[in-house]
Amino acid sequence: MKRQVTFTVNGATWTREVDMDQTLRQLLKDDLYLNSIKEGCGIGECGACTVLLDGRPVNSCLVLAVEVDGCDVRTAEGEVQDGLVSDLQQAFSDFGAIQCGFCTPGMVMSARALLDRNPGPSREEIVEALAGNLCRCTGYEPLIEAVLAVATGKIAGQSDARDTVTPPYVGKPVPRVDGVAKVTGAAPYVHDLTRPGMLHGRFLMSPHAAAKIVRVDTTKALAMPGVRAVLTGADLPYKVGLYLQDKDILAADVLRYQGEAVAAVAAETEAQAAAACAAIEIEYEPLKPLLDLDEALADDARAVHENLADYSWMEGVFFPQPGTNVAHHQKIRKGDVVQGFAEADVITEHEFWNPPVQHVPMETHTAIAEARLDGEVLIDTSAQSPYAVRNLFCHTFDLPHNRVRVRVPYVGGGFGGKAGIHLEPLVYCLSRAAGGRPVKIVCTREEEFNTIPSRQGLRSRIKTGVTKNGRITALEIEYLWDAGAYADYGVNIGRAAAYSGAGPYVVPNCKIDSRVIYTNKVFGTAYRGFGHLEVLWGIERNLDLVARELGLDPYELRQRNLLRLGETTITGEPFTKGHGRPDLCLQKAAEGIGWVDPVANPGGNTEDLGNGRFRGKGLAMLHKAPAMPTFTSCSTVIKFNEDASVSLLISGVDYGQGTYTTLTQIAADELRIPLEKVRVVWDCDTDMTPYDWQTVASRFAVMGGNAVIKAAADCRRQIKAVAAEALNVSADELVCRNSRVFVDEQPENGLDYTQVVLGYTFPNGNAIGGPVVGHGRYIARGLTHLDPETGQGKPALNWTYGAHGVEVEVDTATGEVVVVKTVSAFDAGKVLNEQQCRCQVIGGVIQGLGSALSEKFIFAPDGRFLNPSFQDYKIPTAKDIPTEMEQHFIETPHPEGPYGARGWRSTR
Amino acid sequence: MSDLRYEKPASVAEAVRLLAAEPGRAAALAGGTDLMVAMRAGRATGQCPELLVDLKGITELERITWTEDGTLRIGACVRIQDLAGDARIQQTFPALAEAAGNIGSLQVRHRATVGGNLGNASPCADTAPPLLVLAARLVVAGDRQSREIPLDQFFQGVKQVALTPGEIIIEVVVPPAPAGLRTGFGKVKRIRGHDLALVNAAAAWVPGSAEVKLALGSVAPTPMLVPGLDNAGAGNPSATELGERLAAAALAATAPIDDVRASAEYRRDMIAMLCRRLAATLLDVPASQTGGR
Repeated sequence: MKRQVTFTVNGATWTREVDMDQTLRQLLKDDLYLNSIKEGCGIGECGACTVLLDGRPVNSCLVLAVEVDGCDVRTAEGEVQDGLVSDLQQAFSDFGAIQCGFCTPGMVMSARALLDRNPGPSREEIVEALAGNLCRCTGYEPLIEAVLAVATGKIAGQSDARDTVTPPYVGKPVPRVDGVAKVTGAAPYVHDLTRPGMLHGRFLMSPHAAAKIVRVDTTKALAMPGVRAVLTGADLPYKVGLYLQDKDILAADVLRYQGEAVAAVAAETEAQAAAACAAIEIEYEPLKPLLDLDEALADDARAVHENLADYSWMEGVFFPQPGTNVAHHQKIRKGDVVQGFAEADVITEHEFWNPPVQHVPMETHTAIAEARLDGEVLIDTSAQSPYAVRNLFCHTFDLPHNRVRVRVPYVGGGFGGKAGIHLEPLVYCLSRAAGGRPVKIVCTREEEFNTIPSRQGLRSRIKTGVTKNGRITALEIEYLWDAGAYADYGVNIGRAAAYSGAGPYVVPNCKIDSRVIYTNKVFGTAYRGFGHLEVLWGIERNLDLVARELGLDPYELRQRNLLRLGETTITGEPFTKGHGRPDLCLQKAAEGIGWVDPVANPGGNTEDLGNGRFRGKGLAMLHKAPAMPTFTSCSTVIKFNEDASVSLLISGVDYGQGTYTTLTQIAADELRIPLEKVRVVWDCDTDMTPYDWQTVASRFAVMGGNAVIKAAADCRRQIKAVAAEALNVSADELVCRNSRVFVDEQPENGLDYTQVVLGYTFPNGNAIGGPVVGHGRYIARGLTHLDPETGQGKPALNWTYGAHGVEVEVDTATGEVVVVKTVSAFDAGKVLNEQQCRCQVIGGVIQGLGSALSEKFIFAPDGRFLNPSFQDYKIPTAKDIPTEMEQHFIETPHPEGPYGARGWRSTR
Repeated sequence: MSDLRYEKPASVAEAVRLLAAEPGRAAALAGGTDLMVAMRAGRATGQCPELLVDLKGITELERITWTEDGTLRIGACVRIQDLAGDARIQQTFPALAEAAGNIGSLQVRHRATVGGNLGNASPCADTAPPLLVLAARLVVAGDRQSREIPLDQFFQGVKQVALTPGEIIIEVVVPPAPAGLRTGFGKVKRIRGHDLALVNAAAAWVPGSAEVKLALGSVAPTPMLVPGLDNAGAGNPSATELGERLAAAALAATAPIDDVRASAEYRRDMIAMLCRRLAATLLDVPASQTGGR
């Protein structure tokens, strides 16, 4: 049934026929095409769809369209007046209160509702007003600051903060280039895209953690209205995988985790697809799931992958053990641990555990694929790495790379979870089965939790040999990764965790066995930190326990063992000046929280607040080296336009981390042009933007930055060549400055870029040169494979060091832990943009606090995942952040980095 | 296209007529913050109402009124945020305002209603414990008559209430506050942001009087009044003594379960913790133990 409703949206009156079960969110999004309206959960937990309904902030997913008859609705689009963004939108943009931008329009509306009622709110009132909007990137603090700035009149209206920044831009707090696109809701995400003739896909999730598929009957589903394709595992004889091809697109014979996709439907509407999915009959023979690492490693354990021996994998780098549940075994052997323990005065053994957790990007995974009848494939996907998607896709389907086009527009958060290949093969197969019509799947939040991979669980067993004065003599470590059902990035995480598995310390004798174990749980993938966060929990906690056993100051114990010049890492890499200053990071963090030596001053770091509440302090080091193939590379193309502005083409994705802003700064400086003359072309497109390996591992600023520097140099060379001929001078005499090329020290003797960049025309009409298109590329150099038996080698482009200090309050009556203050210090090499660096740290810290304090997967004894929604998987809200957060940056130039910068965005 | 139908009656009489005409198929829609979630989950399995009767806009359901004797009458469709922000309620029945302010996010509170919070009959409904200790009654309207149901007889099981098909909650009636009344509310959550109660509790007492009222949520199939406190306030107890009396009665009366949100053991500890804290609130002394977030 339909009903006519009349309502106003942003001042305009609409009359619409609406379906009775249509939500206000759907009405605004699908009928009125308001792009700012997002969906993050569909159950009113996340606030991404917040609009003002008669002035009140509401979740539009919980309002029926028929309910708004006679009502007034306001959205982020309505904030824009006469082409100018509102004060709030400007403040969000200026304060870095935006990263991926997916939650931003809803956040703006919550802030607007507050300011409408209370123009001068306190910080506490702002927190209360924003707490219903979940954000996974920003850590909320910049948002609070932005609203406070408007409330206190610091930002009164539209202004372009970029105008006030002068060159050189590198090192300056240039506001985000994508700010306005995101605050207004203009930025298109795959979530927002539709295509003519597009079908909607849904998949059926396995109800069992482990089962054999006995019978499948799709007859009923196929006969249902609107259904255009129904697929089951038997239809799809393909294997997908990154390093180890172990995964079916739809489970064919065996189900390996609860939530695994077992069948899929493409239909004219989402509701028809969902109804048809529910009508697919599948008979399962449940198996006893393998949920425990020891059980999975038992001699008589059932193999999660019976046919592991038949799979293909990256040989020489990964070492799966067919017949067992070991997907990879990475060894590190340095020195002689027997000797090392013999030299120790004290030997300790400790065990630590990290549960699986999820990335929780605010935009769930989504993809559109079109399998055209001429064999061309077009994929739009919310992914971090368009080229990796294309490469893995072509490998699975044996397709030529130049017939497959992968496009990535704005991405609503990734954190590693969108690094690999996920929904793309399935939507492609549905499109193929539906005669080539485009098919879109958007994961519901429940599917995101149940089906899409997570961070792996980890059990760490650490045996430490240490002298009385606190010098580590030996470490023997077993890392067991709970990979879940498929290897995905998990095997490479096991590898990365091994080469970095002793922490940033000198360990003369080291033995690490990092094994990645298949179990019947949702599988693991890359997640911010890529194994480093997980092992560092064990390593750092272990050092605190060792310090306690030795009666030493844990700060001092760390300082005595930190890597320093002349020492080597556990893979034999010499620690050089360019590695940076872990000691200074630790010192900064300790100073920031007022750490005192607890041996000399017992209780100096703790305080009894009374009533069972205590305050205490803690320190932890971190290091990270991006896990990447030895040949990782990146390229970029800079094209000059008629007005001497440039379009910069690159295929690394800015999914919120802000790299495009950084690259804009670099390009402007290197081309000697104003910031606004540079445009990083937003959509990555494997048909248009040049090759980039993957946007992972904090390597894009470093590799992309280097490529941009080279492409700009290529442009300058071309500009000078033309100008030299035009001015009849040698190119060596020319310099580029302020959008001009001229003879050095004779600015008047030169040409504007506009006279050169498309070719120079002499007064008589003769022309020379031609359009300037610069190319730059960068490839990691000097990296080696790790020795299979000893793990020795150079694994990564750069190491990044940092430290955190925290002050926490613990309520012993409730178990509540409140982090009151955090102090973070990183050796960033070179701070390219301080605002962004600061915002990255805040966001990373809050995401880390979520992992540490409130997030974990909970499984039933039969392997069912019990908390797959925001109702029971609790990520931090604006109310859950520390009252004080400090960030410090140390700048020890990295020889390979652009301006000396190193990657560190995913460290925390 | 959906088979769902929607009606927006202008009066209570019309609403109950519509609901009574299709028992089992019609559902009352107020804030929708629970119903919409349930409908989304139920759509795949076909468990959706066929008719929604929207109660919003019926003026008499959207008012907060006080009668001369101090009786508080809250219309069923009063938004939770308006309840939480009502100055006189904050002053007279602080536990009720605090509980309302603890429900969901601001967006949810701007939509959710007090009638919905009670009528949904979730064991963790935050307004239930304070309204139970305040001896609230519900005015419900049916096809033929209106009647009153004491709140402590309203909850009958998870999602089960003492409404006959077609009946709706019209009003929540809170008797006048006796002189010197003190109330308290406490809630234990997993994060400081919006979360369902792992345990919630409210208490009411006139210091010097014998009987203390204590109600708990998330510890039984329904929010519940704790029995056996008729003399808990007798003899000028200290906060510690009162807390122990409340905790003993609460633990004796409840058998919380393990679930994904908390273990039974943790819930028992939190019941005792909240009781101690509420005792301090009732006696207006600093909490001997803090609790809740």
